[in-house]
Amino acid sequence: MTLVLSDINGLKSNKIHKLDIIGKVCPMTFVYTKLALEKMNSGDILELTLDFPAAVKNIPDNCKRQNIGELIDIKHVDKEKKAWILKIKKI
Amino acid sequence: MDFTEEQIERYSRQIVLKEIGGVGQAKLLNSKITIIGCGGLGSPVAYYLTAAGIGNIKLVDFDTVDISNLHRQILHFTKDLNKNKTQSAYEKLHELNPDVKIELVNKILLPDNIKDIIEDSDFVIDGSDNIPTKMLINDACVNLNIPFTIAGVIRFNGQIITVNPKKKTACYRCVFGDITEHEPSMSCSQAGIIGLTNRMLFLDLLKYRFSFIKIAKNENCIACGDNPKNLIETYDYNIGDACFE
Repeated sequence: MTLVLSDINGLKSNKIHKLDIIGKVCPMTFVYTKLALEKMNSGDILELTLDFPAAVKNIPDNCKRQNIGELIDIKHVDKEKKAWILKIKKI
Repeated sequence: MDFTEEQIERYSRQIVLKEIGGVGQAKLLNSKITIIGCGGLGSPVAYYLTAAGIGNIKLVDFDTVDISNLHRQILHFTKDLNKNKTQSAYEKLHELNPDVKIELVNKILLPDNIKDIIEDSDFVIDGSDNIPTKMLINDACVNLNIPFTIAGVIRFNGQIITVNPKKKTACYRCVFGDITEHEPSMSCSQAGIIGLTNRMLFLDLLKYRFSFIKIAKNENCIACGDNPKNLIETYDYNIGDACFE
């Protein structure tokens, strides 16, 4: 499997890209996030679906530390399965 | 470039670093480094650069594996005795990272072949064991504008310097000048050098002392000064007369 970013809204000026990293654990959660952000334009949004609890804090922290992305939203979508959707804006 | 999932996993601890990332890793995979000498210095350098995913590595060594090499030249195993060092090195490095394309050159580095061997390199690493070869590498890299590192260890002392001719930093000859002016024994005691540009790191492993010495570009340097000589064609390097220990 290669890293595939799906563009779910190509019409708006700030594109929204979707990445599913369910099953990935830290630090790979951030590695995949970073590779995705590197391919995006400034201002674009990355919508991440993940299930590794520590990543909910680690990904935004690392994005901030490396000045590549900014957390704009967190949704706890499935409390039983522990799944989250993070929205990160590319800096 | 698109990475395979295996590459993302393999290089993840580099990609995660702010200073490297996917962009930096792609650069490493597309780069070419020549390592001169597969001995005590070349062994760890070749292992780490292969592991890091330098995409193209050229190994240069004319020698075969001797049992006296094995205590420090960690690319070579007991089963490799009498094998060409480049071939012995290739077998370990290819196992470590099949991503890396490894080219072998079983030749003594000489003034008449050095340019052909290094001209397509992004970076050259000296792991040779004698001063004349280090001078030859210095002169050719300065002439071809290729950044390089010259390193060396003898007994418990080591030195290292990195030179970037593109940024006009001080070269090995700016420090040591014309080797023909030195006694042969001095060549041995000066062997080896680690480092950052315009600084040389000296190591004393008995006293565990690390000293950085600032060096300045010498405008009269015969390799990189204002009026450089055509050294590769005219200089008497005496390769082979050097002191080996």
